[in-house]
Amino acid sequence: MWSFYFHELMRSLPFFMKGVWMTVAVAGLSLIAGTVVGFICGIIRAGRNKILRAVIGVWVDIVRGTPFLVQIFIIFFILPGAGIELDAFSAAVIALSNLTASFICEIVAGGILSVPKGQREAATASGLSQYHQLRFIVLPQAMRTILPPLVGQYVLSIKDSSVVSAIGVVDITRVGWFTVQRIPEGIMVFGLVGLLYFAICYPLINLSGYLERRMTVMTIRL
Amino acid sequence: MISFKNVNKWYGDLHVLNNIDLEIAAGEVVVVCGPSGSGKSTLIRCINRLEPIQEGELVVDNMAVHDKNTNMTKVRAEIGFVFQSFNLYPHMTALQNTTIAPIKVRKMKKADAEELGRETLARVGLKDRIYSYPAQLSGGQQQRVAIARGLCMNPKIMLFDEPTSALDPEMIGEVLDTIKMLAKGGMTLVVVTHEMGFAREVANRVVFMDDGHIVEVAPPIDFFTNAQTERGKAFLSSILSH
Ligand SMILES: Nc1ncnc2c1ncn2[C@@H]1O[C@H](COP(=O)(O)OP(=O)(O)OP(=O)(O)O)[C@@H](O)[C@H]1O
Ligand SMILES: [Mg+2]
Repeated sequence: MWSFYFHELMRSLPFFMKGVWMTVAVAGLSLIAGTVVGFICGIIRAGRNKILRAVIGVWVDIVRGTPFLVQIFIIFFILPGAGIELDAFSAAVIALSNLTASFICEIVAGGILSVPKGQREAATASGLSQYHQLRFIVLPQAMRTILPPLVGQYVLSIKDSSVVSAIGVVDITRVGWFTVQRIPEGIMVFGLVGLLYFAICYPLINLSGYLERRMTVMTIRL
Repeated sequence: MISFKNVNKWYGDLHVLNNIDLEIAAGEVVVVCGPSGSGKSTLIRCINRLEPIQEGELVVDNMAVHDKNTNMTKVRAEIGFVFQSFNLYPHMTALQNTTIAPIKVRKMKKADAEELGRETLARVGLKDRIYSYPAQLSGGQQQRVAIARGLCMNPKIMLFDEPTSALDPEMIGEVLDTIKMLAKGGMTLVVVTHEMGFAREVANRVVFMDDGHIVEVAPPIDFFTNAQTERGKAFLSSILSH
C-alpha cells in the first residue's frame, strides 16, 4: 500500500512543481517589495521626523501583533467590501509584502541606529548632505548589522508564505492539501511539502550563517 | 573670523553657554580650557552648528551661523573639525576618508581628490599608510588621518575638541606637532585641550571656561603665571597637580 501511494505521489510531482513555482512567485515578489518598502520605512523610522516615526511604529506594532492569517483574511475578504477587488494571488503578495516590510523596517532601523553617533557628526561637520551621509557613511556600516537578520527574515517570510494557501493560492502547501485527499499518507505527503520548503530555504539559511560569520570577522577587523 | 555676541544655549534647564562674547581673528590660535562639563565642547560645536544656539549672534567667516536660513553646508566646508574619538569612517581607507567630502561636497574629480588626499596624508606624515583602514592604525595615526580629512576641504578654520585626550602618552606629541604645523601655516585654530605646554608654545590666547561662562581670556603666559580669578587659579593648580 505504502509503495503504491509513493508511486502515486511521484506521479503528482509535476503538480507539486507548480506549487513550488507559485510559492517562489508569491514569496519572491513579496521579498522584493518588502525589502524596498522595509528599507524606506526603516530609514524614516531611524530618522528625525517624530510624526513619521510614530506612524511607522504603530504600523509595525499592528502587523507584528496580529496573526498573519488574520491579515490575509482582512486583505482578501474585507477590502473588497471597501470596493477594492483583489484576486487571491495579489492579496497574498500584498499581505506577505506588508508582513515582510514591517519586519525588515525594524531590522533596518536597528542597523542604522547601531552606527555610532560620531559617524554622522563627522560627516555633518565636513558638509556632507543628509543623503550622502546615509548613502556613503551610515548605510554601508549599518549593512553589517542588517544583512544577517535580513536574510533570516527572508527564510521566515518564505515559510510564512504557506499561510496564503488559506485563501486558495495553489502553493506548495495547498498542493499538499489537495494531494493528501487522494493519497491518505499524511506523513509522506507533508514530508514532501516540508522537503520542498527546505530546498528553497536551505541556501538562504547557509547564506545567513555565512554572512553572520563574515560580518563578525569584519567587525573585529574594523 | 569667528564672532560670538551674547550667545546663550540651554540643554533643558541646564544653561551650558552663558552670555558668551568672543572674537577670534583670522590666523589666531586659541586654546580653550576649563573643568569637565564647563561647556568647552559645546562652545566649539556651536561654531559649525553641530549644536544650535538659542540666543545671540554667532558669525563665522561673515556667515551668520545663528540664522536658521544660512546654508550650513557652505559654512561647514570652511571649517575642519577634529574629534576626541577621531570618528574616522571605519569602512574606508585613510585615503577614502580624506577624499569623500572633497568629492561629494566640493564636487572635485576623483583623481584630483586622491591627489590632494595623498599630498595631505603625506603632510601629516602618513605617506605609507594611505591604504590602511582605521583599525589598522594606531591612535596617533588615526587622529592624524582625521586632521588630514579636515584639511582636504581646504578650510579657513580648524576646530579641535580634545584631540589628544584619547591617545596613549607616547602618541600625543605627533598629533600636537601636526597641529603646531598648521598654526605656523597661519590657519585659524580653536583647540580645546589641557596640554598646557602646547598652549604656551602656540596659542595667542587662552580662553578659560567654567560653568558655561568664559571666565578669563588672556595670552598663555599671563594666564599661567598670573590668573586673575580664583576659579582660574584653582583650575591651574588642579591640572598641574597631575
Ligand atoms: N546633548 C546633551 N544633552 C544634555 N546635556 C548635555 C549634552 N551635551 C552636553 N551636555 C551637558 O552640558 C554641559 C557641558 O558639556 P560639554 O561637553 O560642553 O563640557 P566640556 O567642557 O566639553 O566637558 P569635558 O571636559 O568633560 O569634555 C555638561 O554638563 C554636559 O553634561
Ligand atoms: Mg568636551
